[in-house]
Amino acid sequence: MSHTSRLSPPFGSLIDRQQPIHFRFEKRNYEGFAGDNIASALAANQQWLLSRSFKYHRPRGVLTMAGQDANSMIQLPSDPNALADRVAISDGLEVMGQNYSGSLNRDSGALLGLFSRFLPVGFYYKAFFKPRGIWEKWAPLIRKKAGLGVINQDYQSEYYDKQYQFYDVAVIGAGPAGLSAALQAAKTGAEVLLVDENASLGGSLNYSRLDAEGIAARELRQQLVAEVEASANITAMTSATCNGWFADNWLPIICGKRLYKVRAKQTILCVGSLEQQAVFHNNDLPGVIMSSAAQRLMHLYGVRPGKTAVVVTGNNEGYATALDLLDAGVQVKAIVDLRQQPEYNEIAQYALSKGLEVKTGYAVYAANKDRSGLHLGSVEVREIISQGVCAASGETIACDTLCMSVGYTPTYQLICQGGGQLSYDDDSSMFTLTNCPDNCQIAGSVNSHWQLGDVIADAQRAAIIATNELGLSTQALPDAITLSQHQGPNFGWPIFAHPKGKEFVDFDEDLQIADIINATRDGYEHVQLVKRYSTCGMGPSQGRHSALATARLVAAATNKTVAQTGVTTARPPFSAEHLAHSAGRSFYPAQRSNMHYRHLEAGAQMLQAGAWYRPAYYGTTNQRESSINNEVKNVRNNVGLVDVSTLGGLEVRGPDAAEFLNRFYTFAFLKQPVGKARYALLTNEAGVVIDDGVACRFSEQHYYVTATTGGVGNVYQSMLKWNAQWRLDVDIANVTSAYSAVNIAGPNARKVLAKLCSDIDLGSEAFPYMGVREGTVAGIAARVIRVGFVGELGYEVHIPQHCGEALWDALIDAGAEFSIKPFGIEAQRILRLEKGHIIIGQDTDAMSNPTEVNMAWAIAKKKPFFVGGRSIQELNKAPLKRCQVGFVVNDLNAPIPLESHLVLDGDRMTGRVTSCNYSPTLNKPLGLAFVEPDQAEAGSHFKIKSSGGVMVDAMVVELPFYDPETQRQEL
Amino acid sequence: MSSTTPNQIATNALRRSQLYRRHMAMSAAFEALTDSTVVSCYGTGEGELKQAQHLGLADLSTLPRAGFKGLGTPDWAAGQGLQLPVQPNRANLQDDGTLVARLSQTELLLASNLDGLSESIANISLGSQLPERVYSLPRSDSHSWLVLCGSQAAATLSKVCGVDLRPHKFANGEVAQTSIAKINGVLVRNDLGETLSYSIFSDSSSIEFLWDSLLDAMAEFEGTAVGIQALRDC
Repeated sequence: MSHTSRLSPPFGSLIDRQQPIHFRFEKRNYEGFAGDNIASALAANQQWLLSRSFKYHRPRGVLTMAGQDANSMIQLPSDPNALADRVAISDGLEVMGQNYSGSLNRDSGALLGLFSRFLPVGFYYKAFFKPRGIWEKWAPLIRKKAGLGVINQDYQSEYYDKQYQFYDVAVIGAGPAGLSAALQAAKTGAEVLLVDENASLGGSLNYSRLDAEGIAARELRQQLVAEVEASANITAMTSATCNGWFADNWLPIICGKRLYKVRAKQTILCVGSLEQQAVFHNNDLPGVIMSSAAQRLMHLYGVRPGKTAVVVTGNNEGYATALDLLDAGVQVKAIVDLRQQPEYNEIAQYALSKGLEVKTGYAVYAANKDRSGLHLGSVEVREIISQGVCAASGETIACDTLCMSVGYTPTYQLICQGGGQLSYDDDSSMFTLTNCPDNCQIAGSVNSHWQLGDVIADAQRAAIIATNELGLSTQALPDAITLSQHQGPNFGWPIFAHPKGKEFVDFDEDLQIADIINATRDGYEHVQLVKRYSTCGMGPSQGRHSALATARLVAAATNKTVAQTGVTTARPPFSAEHLAHSAGRSFYPAQRSNMHYRHLEAGAQMLQAGAWYRPAYYGTTNQRESSINNEVKNVRNNVGLVDVSTLGGLEVRGPDAAEFLNRFYTFAFLKQPVGKARYALLTNEAGVVIDDGVACRFSEQHYYVTATTGGVGNVYQSMLKWNAQWRLDVDIANVTSAYSAVNIAGPNARKVLAKLCSDIDLGSEAFPYMGVREGTVAGIAARVIRVGFVGELGYEVHIPQHCGEALWDALIDAGAEFSIKPFGIEAQRILRLEKGHIIIGQDTDAMSNPTEVNMAWAIAKKKPFFVGGRSIQELNKAPLKRCQVGFVVNDLNAPIPLESHLVLDGDRMTGRVTSCNYSPTLNKPLGLAFVEPDQAEAGSHFKIKSSGGVMVDAMVVELPFYDPETQRQEL
Repeated sequence: MSSTTPNQIATNALRRSQLYRRHMAMSAAFEALTDSTVVSCYGTGEGELKQAQHLGLADLSTLPRAGFKGLGTPDWAAGQGLQLPVQPNRANLQDDGTLVARLSQTELLLASNLDGLSESIANISLGSQLPERVYSLPRSDSHSWLVLCGSQAAATLSKVCGVDLRPHKFANGEVAQTSIAKINGVLVRNDLGETLSYSIFSDSSSIEFLWDSLLDAMAEFEGTAVGIQALRDC
């Protein structure tokens, strides 16, 4: 299809008629121009039907042309519920309608509308709660019928990101108020951000008629925009939506695929107003549109809204629309003016001079379908007898377009998110806003000013307030602009009930007048309850076009004023946003040791522990078990090398270093000799085990303390916190990332290390178990610690981080003659389990005290204080409720229990497994488990409910499983 | 004489930046430092000065650094001849080009000049035993060192850092201790002549993540990696 009804310039200011663009809608070809959005391009091709409504599948089309309503929702290949009047067309774009059964034109789901009287408000609550379980049967059917777009589950994620920006003044909305505020602020040197959600600066100046001739708006826009563009310190963003207002003027602004996180010292919200619909029978038919939508179609896109039109109005803007329609060659059949006594302005008088038929004190009582049933064919016009009541009969006027101009609500959402107060003036039938947050002003029509001069003066005044607050100007503040005494734009009651209903208050949810009134009759009288009971305002447009009418209806039904009734809470986001905008570019910090690529080169399978990548084991995934077992055997029988760079490292230095550790950890440290390491168990104030490591004393005033990979951050913070209280003369530094470290372990460990270490005597007497030394390894300054986590002769070698790979290479080379092999975390877990060593966080939980996990030996009995000491004393007075034991599974055919498998005594749960693995050294599964104290005696048996519910017999054994005399690690 | 080239040293040096494989994949030419290497330039280095002036990212992690903290640090450091910034979160250059950043009243971070032969660091590190209440910090290893430079550097940083780092808001010599691409870092504005430049010191084990994140953010502005020679030429 090709566009046939484009108007000549100056209509169509946004489109480039030299750039045709081809796209498809409902699998038919269409042509538009660059600058068109989907709705405008389709309208140019006389395709007005865009989609089907949520509940009754009613035909819906253009309503606002401003991206503010759900009627224009369409389906894009990867984007459901896109707004046709917001998304620009592009070559090859595939567009479909939404929420229909069969075809968009012939939707069998529309039959639901015939049963609407059986689907009253609260229908779901009333109908599907009995019998029990009935909802589960109905839900799939209902959800299939009532829905919006379809998510593309094959969607390939796209690149979204974020950017921080900082401004002195952020002006949201670039209509006449926003442009004027930005210019005024910029004059003082302020850095100004000007944001508008539309494609072009100017707001209503782009399409409104401000004078009889219809040229003033265009000229004013050109002047203001030119000044803005010439201002070096105004940054203008178009097609950008400020989607919320947060404390201290934190503004999330979405533009394209980027979320701008804007901090503004001052914000001026010039966000304008939203035109509201009249409420009458069939007011949702395609062809029934806002007056501003008709003006946007003509002025922005050069699209004639129809051939024959009626304008229903409660103000003078309707007359301006009528003039625009005449200029566009549309036959204006009548202006239906709801007012009994209109106060005409110059434009209205000019329209009257054109000889248009004006029906004063009349309403559109009903809209009727054309032959297709999909578009407006005529309207029924009746005289208004009293508020909301029309005469018994009237006149039918054939037309294909009805423009509604009955009033506005201020775009209150952002202001109310900041705590602004929305009030209603029953005399003028208008909302007003007060109580703006600090450093935030409002100006223009959102501040209830409608005369152009007032709008500009109000905006300039707001800018002066902002720049004076910033200290950028010291201008005398003009008096506040008084509200105009002229007749306002809002007609008090543009709501006309019809015996057949279908007078839609909320298009999103297909809610009619009776639904709102019935909600109050069901006892939900507060507007917040009406919202939740009826779902009014809960649809995609979030009550933009239903809040005012709902407030009026609820007020009338509950005998309150609209001011007393109010509206529901406005919460961010202002408009729908992609989750990708919140997620942004994915930042997943990853930590790698300096030896990382050596592991990969050696065939390691890596696992992530927090942000760290660690080698799990070396070998292919299908040889996992054998690889791990071989690594274990190599350590037990020969020598292995494991990267322990991720271990936490903390320097504790100063005159009070020993006293500090003595208070912080459970063990005694005051008399710890220099050159020795001591196990360091950490409990919290509740006596719960939270971390462990070793404290290496390198001098009287210097300890190097290790901590667990995942726990070091908390340990460091905890150290700082406690010393903030204790005020000891000590310095604490987290040096985790400063050191690469390996553990070389196995009977041949000393031989390998000795080849690279000439300045440390590695002999068992000179350098005994739990000794620490400083020297060089492979020419690299090193701290060497004799530890036995895996239960063999072993040395941890800690060296400067950037030397990690060099050390690894040197050790692998030196160990080649002993067939040294790297081992991973999985082998290390088995090795330590065989030795009966616990892993904090795996073998402990948030309730584990030292006694339960057999760590009572690590508690100094004589020192006066340590963190958690008092709690442990109290805990020890009570009988143990559980204790950790070692167990073996002697039935080699039984499934190996896994962590957290339950320990049972009959049907009673008495504990759980914390670690369990097959031991290649003992040739049987062994593990640790919490059990009840009477199950803890060596030789006793308990049952573990293993995978698939299989009951596995476990036998308690003394710990450690391996080398009970501790001879291996002390070689 | 060994015939080992700097490129070979990059794979064999005692001290190796974790990025050296990435550098080699980008055809880096290395130059030797005492026990390490640093990227001199990528490819032939042609146009790298212009790139650095526009937007460049350099890895200086193998250059010497030092850190000191403790109540006695300011007096001791001044006694060693260092010119200290008067207040925290400020940095200045010593006569030999060493950057001294004062991270708190009692904590200093020293970073080498671009020759990698900072006398100030050598002197202070090799001096006699530190007095009481002066504690050294292993900044050469705890932190990586990246330099983001060029006219688009601030715009790049605005995509990964929540601090207003625009040149007219964040003066030369200012220090921000903040989050950069979700990892903690010390960011120092340290212009190279007329070229806007930020030194970023962050957790050394996260350098690959930060390097990739910055290059990703730079792509929009046509930024690329540059060698140390381009920084010297600025």
